[in-house]
Amino acid sequence: MKSILENKVCSALIFLSLVISSDLSYSKSESELINQAYQSTYKPEASPRILIKNANILTGAGELLESSSILIENNKIVSLGKDDTSATQIIDAKGKWITPGIIDIHSHMGVYPAPSLRGNSDGNEATSPVTPHVWAEHSVWTQDPQFTLALKGGVTTFHVLPGSANLFGGRGVTLKNTRSVTVQGMKFPNAPYTLKMACGENPKRVYGNRDSEPSTRMGNVAGYREAWIDAQSYMEELALHEARSMDEDSDEAEESFKRDLKMETLTGVLKGEILIQNHCYRGEEMAVMMDIAKEFNYKVTTFHHAIEAYKVADLLAENGVCAAMWADWWGFKNEAYDMVWENVAMVDQALNGTGCAIVHSDSAVGIQHLNQEAAKARSAGLRAGLDISKARAIKWITINPAKALGIADHVGSLEVGKMADLVIWDGDPFSTFTKAEKVFIDGHLSFDAIDDNSFIRTDFDLGIINPEDDRL
Amino acid sequence: MKNIKIYLFFFLCAPLYAENHETTLIKNATVMTATELGILENTDLLIDDGLIAKIGQNLKHNGAIIVDASNHFITPGLIAPHSMIGIQEIELEAETRDDSSDYFSSGFSIIDAFNPSSALIPHNRTGGITSAIVTPSSGNHIFSGMASAFKLDGKLTEESIGQDVAMTMSFGGNEGSRASQMLLIKDSITKARNYHKSRSQIMRGGYFDFGNYTPRDLEAILRVINQEIPLIIRVDRARDMLRMIRFSNENGIEIIFASAKEAWRIADKIAIQSIPVILDPMDNIPSSFDSIAARMDNAAILNNAGVKLLITSQDTHNSYLSRQGAGNAVAYGLPEHEALKALTINVASVFGLSESIGSIEVGKDADLLIWDGHPLEVSSFTTKIYIDGKNINTITRSQRLRDRYLKRLGLN
Repeated sequence: MKSILENKVCSALIFLSLVISSDLSYSKSESELINQAYQSTYKPEASPRILIKNANILTGAGELLESSSILIENNKIVSLGKDDTSATQIIDAKGKWITPGIIDIHSHMGVYPAPSLRGNSDGNEATSPVTPHVWAEHSVWTQDPQFTLALKGGVTTFHVLPGSANLFGGRGVTLKNTRSVTVQGMKFPNAPYTLKMACGENPKRVYGNRDSEPSTRMGNVAGYREAWIDAQSYMEELALHEARSMDEDSDEAEESFKRDLKMETLTGVLKGEILIQNHCYRGEEMAVMMDIAKEFNYKVTTFHHAIEAYKVADLLAENGVCAAMWADWWGFKNEAYDMVWENVAMVDQALNGTGCAIVHSDSAVGIQHLNQEAAKARSAGLRAGLDISKARAIKWITINPAKALGIADHVGSLEVGKMADLVIWDGDPFSTFTKAEKVFIDGHLSFDAIDDNSFIRTDFDLGIINPEDDRL
Repeated sequence: MKNIKIYLFFFLCAPLYAENHETTLIKNATVMTATELGILENTDLLIDDGLIAKIGQNLKHNGAIIVDASNHFITPGLIAPHSMIGIQEIELEAETRDDSSDYFSSGFSIIDAFNPSSALIPHNRTGGITSAIVTPSSGNHIFSGMASAFKLDGKLTEESIGQDVAMTMSFGGNEGSRASQMLLIKDSITKARNYHKSRSQIMRGGYFDFGNYTPRDLEAILRVINQEIPLIIRVDRARDMLRMIRFSNENGIEIIFASAKEAWRIADKIAIQSIPVILDPMDNIPSSFDSIAARMDNAAILNNAGVKLLITSQDTHNSYLSRQGAGNAVAYGLPEHEALKALTINVASVFGLSESIGSIEVGKDADLLIWDGHPLEVSSFTTKIYIDGKNINTITRSQRLRDRYLKRLGLN
């Protein structure tokens, strides 16, 4: 129970400055070095030409193609709805359903792995409320057995965030659900960095309990604003330094400029390169956070755990901000008391259906059943008279989180040219009784329910119960 | 004028809250009885005087309210086997919690803490829970105290339907050694036995070293030793469960395992001992070195071995999600009929409530749910709820909030 609570209490934020523009800050060689370091090294081998036919396909682009087919090859989707006789492998998926690979925008797998131990609990740098300099990817344990469980639930991409103890928790990282000894080997190629921010109870509880700032919500807000003011100054100083460096006559041309990791992340946000993922439960706090974004000219990409998003659903839609929500969690703290079962559906339908709704897990159990979470949220909407099709609801766990993570050009829907990340379900994915049968990542069969050797076990799973057996 | 409106509102709505007709005839339902009769298609149920009066086809009754349940399922009301409904409002707010005691250990009873006005009650009731075994949480003592059973009809005057029906305890990985925990348990049993022997002398003012126990704690342990109530042991590691089986046999104690993530490894041994297992089938995370062998088909393996299952949700606020857990257990091999029993009659029978609740049989309390689809399917929901034959309003605080904001957003 304790670990569940800790998980719930988390949230994150990030940064992406793989693409620091060289004319603004460092010399080209410096910036190239920075770019190279920490980059994704994930490069899938070319995948075979596979035709999956006779399936009901929820494309994630808003369509349900009944009894249709999809062709994949060389890691990409080649065509939809066309038969192909040249495929090296043909899978008859009669009676089965296909969706894009499921994307969870809120996970702490890897940074709060299983088993939960002091030695591997690395999700919250709860030593100071402003820690935009820490990166979740530097905490991720690549052998977390939870990764495999999520894979069996159809999850092909997930976003790992630092926890929510801090106002600025650090950078998040988007990972592909592939096994690798290195985090770089799991990193989603060229995904923008994200920055975790947290509203409300968690920061004020963590620091308030230590009699330090912040101990109130107004203390939280002062903390965000002060940090953004610092970031603005840093940007100005950097620009000034750049200008002097360009000026060959200046004595100060060789003057060095000391990098500041915190400010690099925050300025990455101000430059629009790093996406804000903001843990925030209450309606009025979301409104305040959007005002702060206006004051400092940045954008909030997504509010996470947005229990009260339904109260400000029109405001979110107006501002183009997504809300990532649970289907039904509530009551574990005061700011989670006003949950409604229709939250996701109401956000989706706000302002003539222009809202951006995401179903997230924040849980190693929930991530395995995101299809069921979406099913619950959809059926609650239907009961309230919000007529939402399965073709639309599947977006909550596919293309909408992809958009909010800045990777929608590559994943999140089954469209020609996109990465061949897809799930074959043994039935309607909006049913409790349906399971992921086959999971493809970049065209490779990464899990097959009927073949115990179809997936790569984590190091942890080997010999941990009996030396001669695998855990699962 | 405003006041008048409010009074008018209550006046108009009053019948919704107090629908209290004596006799109801539900027609043409698919009745999942949770008995050996299994599922009865196209069947009628007559509810009279709070009880299930008749089950059959083409039933007639003059003056009964007729409810057409064609294309709907009926199940017994679900019973939460291990939750804190009514003794915990907001998990992180200590003053809203009554689920543990620093002072008492085994003698702690939650009976006087139950709050029938908790928002968790209508919420879980609408989700299908009509009764709950309300259990204390793990506190600082080996024993956490005793659980009591309540119906969730939300009446302010609600009395327990089973006071102090089980003792609770946690065992396993913690700060100290589990061997030390075992010694503490043994010592507490010895202490209670000694107390029992010396009771008459103590009453006459004789000295007794109570140590960390109160007389109330020791009296409660005696009830366990005397097999008046079972002991729920929250435990995950297979080896620990084996140790607990030996302990229970040595002391003639009736035990129930809860959580039990590694139970599948010793399914036969649990079955032979007829130990019921309370579990959340969805919790397959190896979250500690006590639960490394956690897996999704724990429930199915235990059932195949003949173990009686009680399905719970770990989340008190969403205790009703036990039915999602049951559905997932079915997806991983548990027969549907057994899944339903694990949500209803098995819970009732383990806690001594099966004479009145847990299945659809003539003479039992009319605690019934009508569902708009298969009850183990997440997309299904209750359409009507009966407790003691009364049609209970399905509205929740959450729905009130929903309706307010549907209107504000122009979505109604």
